[in-house]
Amino acid sequence: MPNGQYQVLSPWAEADPIPFRGINPPVGDLAGKKIGLLRNSKRGAEPTLQVLENRLKGKYPTAGFSWFANLKPNERAVDHDRDEFEKWLKEVDAVVGAIGD
Amino acid sequence: MYDAASIEERHKPTVTLVNRGFANDTESAARSQGLPGLRYIPAAVPCEASIMADIEAGVDGALDDIIGALTRPLTPEEKSPGGREPEKPARVIFKGSLREVNRFLYQRGWTDGLPIIPPTEEAVAEMLTGTDLPPDHLLGKLQSRMGKATIEKIAIAGVMAGCLPTHMPVLIAGTIDLLESEPGFTGYTTFGFSTGSWAPFWIINGPIRHQINVNSSSGALSPGNIANAAIGRAMGLIVKNIGGVRQGIEDMGVMGNPMKYTSVIAENEEESPWEPLHVEYGFKKEDSTVTLSFPQTYLQHWPYSADAQGVLRAVVDNTPRGMRRTIIFTPPHANNLAREGFGKEDVKKYIAENKLVPASIMRRMQMGRPPLDYGSIPEKDDELVPMIKDRRFIRVIVGGGPGAFIAHCVGGGATPGQKETQQIELPKSWDRLVARYKNVVPTYAKY
Repeated sequence: MPNGQYQVLSPWAEADPIPFRGINPPVGDLAGKKIGLLRNSKRGAEPTLQVLENRLKGKYPTAGFSWFANLKPNERAVDHDRDEFEKWLKEVDAVVGAIGD
Repeated sequence: MYDAASIEERHKPTVTLVNRGFANDTESAARSQGLPGLRYIPAAVPCEASIMADIEAGVDGALDDIIGALTRPLTPEEKSPGGREPEKPARVIFKGSLREVNRFLYQRGWTDGLPIIPPTEEAVAEMLTGTDLPPDHLLGKLQSRMGKATIEKIAIAGVMAGCLPTHMPVLIAGTIDLLESEPGFTGYTTFGFSTGSWAPFWIINGPIRHQINVNSSSGALSPGNIANAAIGRAMGLIVKNIGGVRQGIEDMGVMGNPMKYTSVIAENEEESPWEPLHVEYGFKKEDSTVTLSFPQTYLQHWPYSADAQGVLRAVVDNTPRGMRRTIIFTPPHANNLAREGFGKEDVKKYIAENKLVPASIMRRMQMGRPPLDYGSIPEKDDELVPMIKDRRFIRVIVGGGPGAFIAHCVGGGATPGQKETQQIELPKSWDRLVARYKNVVPTYAKY
């Protein structure tokens, strides 16, 4: 290049834009609500959610809880267990997930 | 976060607890799903926690935030998130001196930390002579960013890494290998990003090995040869700049892995008594191929003696736990094994049948691991069980120079039978290209 100058091309790839979407409104109050507890395959996930369930039960005695375990590492529950997952999801008002690693 | 995204798509609110060290990765995953507002709590629960006092303290410390995330009304930004980074960066990105270009690209997070060759129009055009595909040809979209793997972007990575144009066919085949990697736990979607610091390991077979001078002999996995050094390095830049997998963000590797700089070997087919890897996998001997796996560990050891029993017993005793393993025998060891009647399958069978551990140890080894299918473990503690459940998880190749050491690359890789090898397609002008670049080799002065 003249004068030791280099005009360089970008190594960063283009990507099709993924439109950003909003998230769903929270439940507002946990009293009387059913909270889904979704654990993955990592060791820390289950005891973490167990402690959380106990704490929330203490604060919100009328809240209910329902568990779902996605034990397939790096696969979405909906991809390998769609029917059970969607059935479970219909029964809960909100979901707390724990990623154990 | 992918589960959280699929739940939000089904109109339920979510909150995800993650270790606070993975906040960057969490946000990147949420954005890749089009949900930048996904609520998560970076908690102080240690990774892979098993001490209840720590878990309780972590949850207690995050409890108010968790309740808040479950109940707090959405902000306007969460309801209707705003813009994002430009998806079509300028093609020409910078002009400056060698030092300025390097500093610019490094500060944008687009290098591997080592100096690069500036990807000028001229240098990229030369690299593109290594393929008949047009620069805008799209091979696919590479995870996690779903960046467009065009031929030009691959060539840019090749230039930056110091590749020769004759390496382009390998880079293209390697990228296809990544794109077509098995989905789920045993493919690139895990090993590219996992906390396990799995490194892409590329084995090159077929005539191209000699045409582009890929080292299969002394120090094949050491620095010193452009092909071994630059091809692996370019593939790392492709993962980073096309896939968007950045250290400490999408790449969650805890320790990291020096094999991620480059890890490329050719099989020494000429001195092997066995069929080469690509022929074993169904290709013709005259085909050129690249085979991908994701080892976490690289170790070497001596045999107990040069005969089959001494070689194989040492392999059995030294091979570590892992999912997929490539064992590299030197030509003398391989030939000694063959002379005593061991084909590749016999070698794998011997290793699988003799790598045994007591049930009590196997039980401990499985504690805290993802519930993978390792089969049932006997009740009796001293009953011996195989550590390698299926000999197809063992890969045997021949390589390395004179000397006695045996090498193991152990970690992850495709489920046997799933895609792991890609045929390398050559351009029409291949012979001319090879003639032009084949003599680019180091000549070491005697002293």
